[in-house]
Amino acid sequence: MRMNGRNVFVIGTGITKFGEFYDRDSTSLAVEALNAAINDAKIDRSSIKSAYFGSMVSNSSPHSSFSSKCLRECNISIPFTRVEAGNASGAAAFHQAYTSLASGIHDCVAVIGSEKLSDFVKNGTIEKILGSTIDYQWEYEIGATLTSLYALITKAHMREFQTTMEQLASVPVKNHKNGKENPHAQFRREIPLDRFLSAKRISDPIGRFDLATHCDGSSALILVSEDYLNRKGEIKNKIPILSSEHSSDVLALHHRESLTQIKSTVTAAKKAFTKVGIEPTDIAVAEVHDAFPISEILAIEDLGFFEKGEGGNATEAGLTQLNSKISVNPSGGLKARGDPFGATGIAQIVEIVEQLRGRADKRQVSEIEYGLTHNIMGTGALAYVNIFGKEEMKQ
Amino acid sequence: MEPPKIWREKRQRYLALGISCTKCGKRSFPLSEYCPYCGTNDVEEYRLAETGKILYFTNVSMTSDEMAFNAPYCLGIIELDDDIKVTGQIVDCDYNDIRNGMEVKMVFRILARDGNDGLIKYGFKFTSK
Amino acid sequence: MNKAGIVSYGSYIPQYRISIEEIAHIWGEDATELKNQLQVQKKSVLGLDEDVATMAVESARNAVNLWDGDPKLIGAIYVGSESHPYAVKPTATIVSEALPTGKEIMAADLEFACKAGTAGMQMCFGLVKSDMINYGLAIGSDDSQAKPSDPLEYTAGAGSAAILIGSEGIIAELEGTYSVTSDTPDFWRREGATYPSHGQRFTGKPAYFQHSIDATKGMMNQLQTNPSDYDYVVFHQPNTKFPLSVAKMLGFTKEQVELSLVCRHIGNTYSASSMLGLNRILEKASSGERILMTSYGSGAGSDSFSFIVTDKIEELQSYPFDIEYYIKRTKDIGYGLYTRYKGLLK
Repeated sequence: MRMNGRNVFVIGTGITKFGEFYDRDSTSLAVEALNAAINDAKIDRSSIKSAYFGSMVSNSSPHSSFSSKCLRECNISIPFTRVEAGNASGAAAFHQAYTSLASGIHDCVAVIGSEKLSDFVKNGTIEKILGSTIDYQWEYEIGATLTSLYALITKAHMREFQTTMEQLASVPVKNHKNGKENPHAQFRREIPLDRFLSAKRISDPIGRFDLATHCDGSSALILVSEDYLNRKGEIKNKIPILSSEHSSDVLALHHRESLTQIKSTVTAAKKAFTKVGIEPTDIAVAEVHDAFPISEILAIEDLGFFEKGEGGNATEAGLTQLNSKISVNPSGGLKARGDPFGATGIAQIVEIVEQLRGRADKRQVSEIEYGLTHNIMGTGALAYVNIFGKEEMKQ
Repeated sequence: MEPPKIWREKRQRYLALGISCTKCGKRSFPLSEYCPYCGTNDVEEYRLAETGKILYFTNVSMTSDEMAFNAPYCLGIIELDDDIKVTGQIVDCDYNDIRNGMEVKMVFRILARDGNDGLIKYGFKFTSK
Repeated sequence: MNKAGIVSYGSYIPQYRISIEEIAHIWGEDATELKNQLQVQKKSVLGLDEDVATMAVESARNAVNLWDGDPKLIGAIYVGSESHPYAVKPTATIVSEALPTGKEIMAADLEFACKAGTAGMQMCFGLVKSDMINYGLAIGSDDSQAKPSDPLEYTAGAGSAAILIGSEGIIAELEGTYSVTSDTPDFWRREGATYPSHGQRFTGKPAYFQHSIDATKGMMNQLQTNPSDYDYVVFHQPNTKFPLSVAKMLGFTKEQVELSLVCRHIGNTYSASSMLGLNRILEKASSGERILMTSYGSGAGSDSFSFIVTDKIEELQSYPFDIEYYIKRTKDIGYGLYTRYKGLLK
């Protein structure tokens, strides 16, 4: 059934280390990731016909044409599109790339997610940048930061479901434990629960160490259509993209009916599961948007892995640890890997693809049929959900 | 804080303006040319209720450059007496005394200043009633 | 010529207070002696997100709410201050849009040290009496400046008062107004200077006292009234001692002036000072009572007013956000926070 277009596959992944690299610029990071993806795909770079760059501000000269410079340095002369969707710029670029292939416009494209945030050393700059992912006029200019809105969301969840501070802190504890085994993560050591609980509250109840760090990084993918694969013959380690869905919700929290559910996640997930014809219980591994502890708790509820309100209990009980009921953020998530906005969405996909290929080393989830990624903008104005399957699978 | 933007928004910020739809009767915030519920263009300016209750609140200490002059400050979502919800700072209150459901009223305050040479942006905030 | 009078009034005082003791401690001064001299307990301090414009808006809104009329009927608005947020860009326009009045309104900002607000009142009375406007709004609002360690620092407070003037719905009718003006360098601030300078003792006899006395005597002479004809008298309050002294010199009793002495609780609110004293009296006055007010502004001049209270006043005396509400609403701060709130930390 071709109602939703042709089958699309990931055949190459590339990722830089994430962290603070004062000596490297956006172009350099993007080039490293793109070259790595091309090498991994084992294709001639002349096969790539278009590039999609997911980036929010790119670097300290916002929106500068690092995309052009990256392609020149990679010796590829192709059209490119820069896609911006706040924190979900990576997933948004991926979605555009996917649709261009599914619709038959292209056969082989590159997707690069890249961001460089460590130049913003002055206090308050990142808060202003993130102000554009929320209602700038009636939330940010009123005094709300993205963190403060998540603080309100956290309080709402604690009030309605008695989610505790310990349950919230168990999210970054787990993710740092996972990140230890991720060679690309910014942070590679376990951090005890107490450290999160005793840190200064920056917008209570969110503490100083609760948020994913704003750092530098780049990640890339090579996507191809089934027709390309049929023409080119045997390409190994191709991972099918079974669905790529996105959805939106009203921007401002004061316009929402509930603060304890990210409606855009719920809707995007439902569309994705329906398209593939599976249930949330079929997902063995997921990379979700854990910008704040509450973000992961909401994600695992809104994606359908756990009942609404049970996210805290489930995490505390270890049900989202590596190789437990569902492995959530085996890469370490945004928290341990770091969160260079545009690079994050693609990095999540890189992890799931590597998991499905069986190449996740010490982070490997033992039995996977399907993997999922989840990337959102701001407090959920946009959500992207992708589902991937094993190589042997056909759509 | 460009002059045209400050000028364009001042009335909404000073008077807390939303709209009242002549067709479906619903009220909404902020000011808009079309009713977000029924889509008609036939809407009237509406001044929000000046009193309400706190729904959620938090104490913001790490914040944007333009808000730093006032930090730490309390930020919350307020449900006004006309059932419209807005985001606003809660001022002139000890943070430890603030409670969910606390009754508040609107006050006129400085939102931000553009350094020492630039414009001053005023708008509504809330204080204990 | 129309009759004219006060139609409504509004006040605003920020909640923060700093005591004489706190300030004296920093400079190694004797707090007890200062309190005896000044007869002021604490002064009011502006919050971090407040300024002369926000205070002016709050006091104006209180006046309009109390009046319960349509602010679009206001034909003129004047804001007097020594600490307008902008040197160029009037506070009056901000208040106008925040009420909101209509666009068809006369407006200006005024400066005459502590009597800029009452000068605005006179302008409104003139416009109303000559039938050029129906209602006029005069506001005095100040975040009083004083150099740290200067004696003025103990009393330089913050506050705002708004008086709505008109020919209908009068609660206190104007019997007359009388002013004296002279070029007197008792207290000044050059353009660009951060703090004002003053002539210490020179600000007393030839300045505050001379002008207050001349204006008050001139007013009573014009109306053929005596101190005993008045139930209340209000003077500008740089501290509590000065108005008590000048009242005595003019033949008024302590009882006549006592109610007006907001200075005890909030210090010297410069352009708002005498007007806040007037507001406190209007809260309590009864029909038929007579009020005399004489403001004083350095530079120098005094505006004297004589009012007779009408029976309409009873309709207006139960508003929750009256001056007592603001006087009682206090939060004490120490000198450390004070330096942050006053912007002393560069």
